[in-house]
Amino acid sequence: MRKCTKCGLPETYETIEFDQFQVCNICRQREHRDGSIDWAARHVMLDDMIEQYRGKYDYDCIIPFSGGKDSTFTLYYLIKKYKIKPLVIQFNHGFMRPNLLKNNERTFKKLGVDVLTFTPNFKVVKRLMLEALIRKGDFCWHCHTGIFSYPMHVAIKYQVPLIMWGEPSSEYTAYYDYRDDEIESVDETRFNRFVNLGITAQDMAGMINHDFDLDPRDLKPYTYPPTRDLKQLKYRSVCLGSFIPWDVKAQSKIIMDELGWQGDQVEGMPWDIYPYEKIECYMQGVRDYIKYLKRGYSRVTQMTALDIRHNRVDKAAADKLVAEYEGKRPPSLELFLGYLGLTEDEFNNIVLNTVVPPFKPDFENMQDAPKTWDFDLWYREEV
Amino acid sequence: MIGIVNYGMGNIRSVANAVYEQGFDPLLINNADDFSQATHVILPGVGHFKKAMANLEQLSLLTPLKQAVLTDKKPLLGICLGMQLLLSHSEEGDCAGLDLIAGDVRLFRDPKFRVPHVGWNNLNGVVKHPVLRGIPAMADFYFVHSYYASTASQHTLAQCEYDRNFSAIVGVNNIIGMQFHPEKSQKNGLLLIENFCNWDGLC
Repeated sequence: MRKCTKCGLPETYETIEFDQFQVCNICRQREHRDGSIDWAARHVMLDDMIEQYRGKYDYDCIIPFSGGKDSTFTLYYLIKKYKIKPLVIQFNHGFMRPNLLKNNERTFKKLGVDVLTFTPNFKVVKRLMLEALIRKGDFCWHCHTGIFSYPMHVAIKYQVPLIMWGEPSSEYTAYYDYRDDEIESVDETRFNRFVNLGITAQDMAGMINHDFDLDPRDLKPYTYPPTRDLKQLKYRSVCLGSFIPWDVKAQSKIIMDELGWQGDQVEGMPWDIYPYEKIECYMQGVRDYIKYLKRGYSRVTQMTALDIRHNRVDKAAADKLVAEYEGKRPPSLELFLGYLGLTEDEFNNIVLNTVVPPFKPDFENMQDAPKTWDFDLWYREEV
Repeated sequence: MIGIVNYGMGNIRSVANAVYEQGFDPLLINNADDFSQATHVILPGVGHFKKAMANLEQLSLLTPLKQAVLTDKKPLLGICLGMQLLLSHSEEGDCAGLDLIAGDVRLFRDPKFRVPHVGWNNLNGVVKHPVLRGIPAMADFYFVHSYYASTASQHTLAQCEYDRNFSAIVGVNNIIGMQFHPEKSQKNGLLLIENFCNWDGLC
């Protein structure tokens, strides 16, 4: 596979392009971010925006919150720097880990915030996971769409127009390119461009019509609210990372030091080096495993790519980590197959249909990744 | 409410939908009385210049339209043929227009260029104006027209290059007109409609 000579991302990576030096566009937009964006001016924009919405509504803003490093930093930063009064919205995807729940309780109590948590029907979630896995090789549709649409419904219900997200997508992909020098708007266009995998809730209703008693209302949390309602609210939905340059490692350290936020072991990752990434979900290992089977890389590659762009690790050391950790079957696969009622062969055949060429997965000779400390605490379907 | 003049010249529904999606309430203006409820007026239009003027006259909409714009100072947006009607005269049917903006409407005649001018094209020489706020420099808009507006430079808010550089957006005081279709021009077109609906008519 062709790979970026700088960061190592392969040609199967979404939105990637290579220039004449075989350096990828994600690296190039990152160079633009650090060299050409006027961050002082962006910071003034943030100051003005916060003041524009302060004190006029039941809450100054809505902060969608998973409890991972990015949303925790966003909440911490906005409260510490601006003393805003937010409404924190948690969309429970169904697989929140024990350490995450502890982190969240600590964060909420230390910062002093109002929190709403929404947990959708798990029977519906499982059926959506199966459909999205079959259609796209990505079982996380309910989480992608729920995370990005549910807080918008809450914004309308509470009539709070400012919604503050954390990390801009330009850090990882080129759906929104830093070189366009625009503020990424977290809106329905973005939702349909990549968040929902090209599948709307209406599509889901049409596809799940033979083996499951789906009430049309079951899909409301995954449906983007009408643009008209958001426009009438005069909403503004943006990422904090469009106004301050995002730095996951530095920000993780801040929340660890200031809030006692704790990282965790994540299946398939080097635990000592990346304890802060994707600690929210105990299906993360399966997600990363499928990514590897489809595209020939996994989260280790993504994390080292970020660190290479920050000059925090050299390419040789990154390659070594990737070789050692990627492409191992996670223990959580067993639970996942239980939820969806699939055998591993059925799972492999489904994933095989969604492989991105030129990568070819090798299902034989697959090694197992080690269990994390909390593996035995995760929910299991009774057989 | 955002009044949309309904004078039998097409394109009403797509304009009304665009207004609605942007969070405003569209109101079809069918007769003189309807103008009183409208804070803003949109004059859409697809078809022949002379027929459009005749329809306005026949439906007794000419005088109340001018009154809403000139006396009551309601913001007016002309779209495509609706924009051409704002001018003094058109070659199409050799017909006088509303004469709200001095200028002529002429046929594209260069044989090297296909008529009508159809498709996406970008603007140049965009001036600062409340309705044009937030539009990126090289934004594309959707055009479909055989005639173009020729106005003095002080009434030209943006131009578009075809066989010549013609006036793509015209304006004076509380009046603005767009040769392209903002309601069919995706994100940037919808932003123009939103800006217009929020506009107080001052420049």
